[in-house]
Amino acid sequence: MKKKWMSFTRYLLLSVYLVFALFPLVWIFLTSIKPPMEVYSFPVKYLPSKPTFQNYHRLFSYAHFGKYFKNSLTVAGISALASTVMASLAGYALARFKNRWVLPIILFLFFAQMIPAYLVMIPQYVMFSKFGMLDKLSSVILIYSGIGSAFSTIMARGFIARIPVELEEAAMIDGCTRLCSLFKVTFPLVLPGLSAVFSFSFVNSWNEIFIASLFLNSDNKMTVPVALYSFISKAGVNWGFLSAGLVVALLPTIIVFAFAQRYIVEGLTKGAMKY
Amino acid sequence: MRKPRRSARFFLYAILPVVAVVSFLVVYPTIRGVIMSFQNYNLYNLRNVHFVGFENYKSVYTDSRFYEDLWNTVLWIAGSVSLQFILGFILALLMWKPFKGRGIYAGLVFYPWALSGFAIGLVWSWLMNGTFGVINDILMRLHLIEYPIHFLSDPKWAMWSVILINVWYGIPFFAIMILAALQSVPSSVVEAAMIDGASSARRLFQIIIPYIKPTILSTLLLRVIWVMNFPDIIYGTTRGGPAGATEILSVYMINVVFYENDYSKAATVGVTILAILITYTLVYIKTTSYEELEL
Repeated sequence: MKKKWMSFTRYLLLSVYLVFALFPLVWIFLTSIKPPMEVYSFPVKYLPSKPTFQNYHRLFSYAHFGKYFKNSLTVAGISALASTVMASLAGYALARFKNRWVLPIILFLFFAQMIPAYLVMIPQYVMFSKFGMLDKLSSVILIYSGIGSAFSTIMARGFIARIPVELEEAAMIDGCTRLCSLFKVTFPLVLPGLSAVFSFSFVNSWNEIFIASLFLNSDNKMTVPVALYSFISKAGVNWGFLSAGLVVALLPTIIVFAFAQRYIVEGLTKGAMKY
Repeated sequence: MRKPRRSARFFLYAILPVVAVVSFLVVYPTIRGVIMSFQNYNLYNLRNVHFVGFENYKSVYTDSRFYEDLWNTVLWIAGSVSLQFILGFILALLMWKPFKGRGIYAGLVFYPWALSGFAIGLVWSWLMNGTFGVINDILMRLHLIEYPIHFLSDPKWAMWSVILINVWYGIPFFAIMILAALQSVPSSVVEAAMIDGASSARRLFQIIIPYIKPTILSTLLLRVIWVMNFPDIIYGTTRGGPAGATEILSVYMINVVFYENDYSKAATVGVTILAILITYTLVYIKTTSYEELEL
């Protein structure tokens, strides 16, 4: 009897939390497909009487959201790729070599990854303005790959350290060079881990707003968060329209997370230090 | 077998890119920021940049805004982290024993973790809207309130509202970490306690919590830093308002950058945050043992 009661309470609480977790996104989606009259009604009208995609249509036709989406994809994609490539090389070296530089470099990266991005954006802005590199997607790509790579390296090192070194040594005895054993043995085995590193930096770059709004000013350079920001800074928020923008902005990270969650969690719980 | 010289060169080439970009894009700007905090670096007067000693610090530290924001930061961290932790812990316990569809459930409730804090702030400002917000509608239908609450524009409510959003955002993180730790508790430990006839509450507090304490401690301590440096949700909702009620230090710095263009002042606030960060980290490393960092 007591046991039954316990498991009932358990499922009840789990269901309550499920609703709590999902409700905000469900609500923003419902808002995005409501006709304007029903967005602004109180008492609230819960379901749209006639679902419409006009907000999405406006988003991509008048507001050039496709352009911002492409910018974000470019920035997050390239910077995540760059930082993953750098991190897997460095992570490999720091996992496999034992010399007097290993510990100092790990400590250096550990402290560097603790410095939050927004804290260094002004000096970065001043530096980049000297090179005439403001309002350029490439500057933001460079900055994102740089600030993410310290943590990515620590995470990649954790994954690589868990691959038995004997596998590589066996390949090297068989006549493989270090580079060859790296690409033929280690990297294929650690690929799920590296895809977690990639996803993690992709999500972080996709979500970053402060550096992006400081650096990217012209309309055709804006990334998705900067565009969302511009929607609210203009007088009066159109919530139906903004909701559509939010749905489109959130979708990519939800998809990435759905695929990579398992490995990201593994990377964070075993041998990584941030988040 | 191995040729040591070539090995050393491989090591150098492998670590060089990361060390170079991190030095150039993180470490150098940090140093540069410290220097700027001792200069009069205003965007409107770039021809006349010179050292001013501790002037910037004096003006920031004599302004009551700084102390209000410091207090707000403490509230923000204490409220968010404690609730995230307690609720995340409960969620992890509820999810510990396997049930049908647990993997799917995990995917459905853990997702907020990957989302943009800024976008989440916007989503919740619509939910918490004082005129058309669905939360007010629900509370009124349940007869819990008579009039809509202006969650984000009433100074009495604003801080608790942004903390609530941050709790929603952060529960998954703690649940993920604690669930992973719980699953590493060997079943023999749990079973031994069951044979002893310990009640489930005693099992939890005397056996399981001590077992996962290192994870709990390091997760909690690291989360404090992370939450302190997480202005995104506040930027999506109140931007520090109304009347500074939700302005934490990181939001202060960003507001100075975007609305005052006074880079020296922003750098001064930044260096202050950095000093807090370093102090905290050193204490953290001392409290948790070195091996736990898995260096």
